[in-house]
Amino acid sequence: MRFSYGMMDERKILLYKPELFLKGNDLLVFPSKEFYKWHGDIKECIDGLYQINALNMQKGKFVNKSEVELAAGVLNIITDELEHVFDRESVSDFSYHYISALDEKYKKRRLNGYTSDMRRCDIQIPVKPEITHLLKERNMMDIVNEVNKDFIMARRKGQKKIK
Amino acid sequence: MRVSEGVPDGNIVELYNPEQFKEREEVIVFTREDFHNTYNSISGQIEYINKIAMHLDVGDDWKLLGYWPKFLERIYLLDLNMDLIFQEEPVQCYLDTYLYNSIGSSEKAVAVSKSKVPVQLKFSI
Repeated sequence: MRFSYGMMDERKILLYKPELFLKGNDLLVFPSKEFYKWHGDIKECIDGLYQINALNMQKGKFVNKSEVELAAGVLNIITDELEHVFDRESVSDFSYHYISALDEKYKKRRLNGYTSDMRRCDIQIPVKPEITHLLKERNMMDIVNEVNKDFIMARRKGQKKIK
Repeated sequence: MRVSEGVPDGNIVELYNPEQFKEREEVIVFTREDFHNTYNSISGQIEYINKIAMHLDVGDDWKLLGYWPKFLERIYLLDLNMDLIFQEEPVQCYLDTYLYNSIGSSEKAVAVSKSKVPVQLKFSI
């Protein structure tokens, strides 16, 4: 994302990199210290989510419902933080600043997994009774007989009218 | 957080709400579109996870085997978006129109047999 720092000077902002914004776009301006704090807070929450997954990475352990609830709780914190960006009344807590120290291996993505293609192959739709050629023939003959009967009835009605 | 919109004018930005900031305060400036796209993407990932997580009942732990990797994918995208904010290069997959990702399902498209399946199992992976 293109961004530039700036300095407030007599009700205007002096840009450090004005060449990025030459096209006259609309710009959004945030105080940089609070923005960094906001960014750090959300990164902290995301690292928390990766830590929940770390339990899953151990052999023989799987994620259960309580961990999903925990993750949902952390996501709620992130949602609140997102709203806090545009809330002018909110005050940031500068008592600490989070710097991510999470090892990269916890963020590793499992590229293989149970994909939707695999699921489609695995779904077996049971068919009872088994459709044989005989069954198809019988079904077709049933339809033909039905139509034949209707045809004869209609012709009889037609002959009655003529008489 | 205090925020203001502004319009660039050469070296300077003319603010709509200059009273928000103090004199000589350091600020960070984004284009509204870039920030809007990233912000919406972040919200979208969270919405996706919340939608599915809300419908998982107690005793559906076996479903988590399939859903948890999906959650992780979205969390990874969330992480990526947050890193994107401070990357100097313009976004590589920058599109003019923003693709709204959702897991909506329209009733019309559902086949007759599927309409007898309970709601929780309708989410397409």
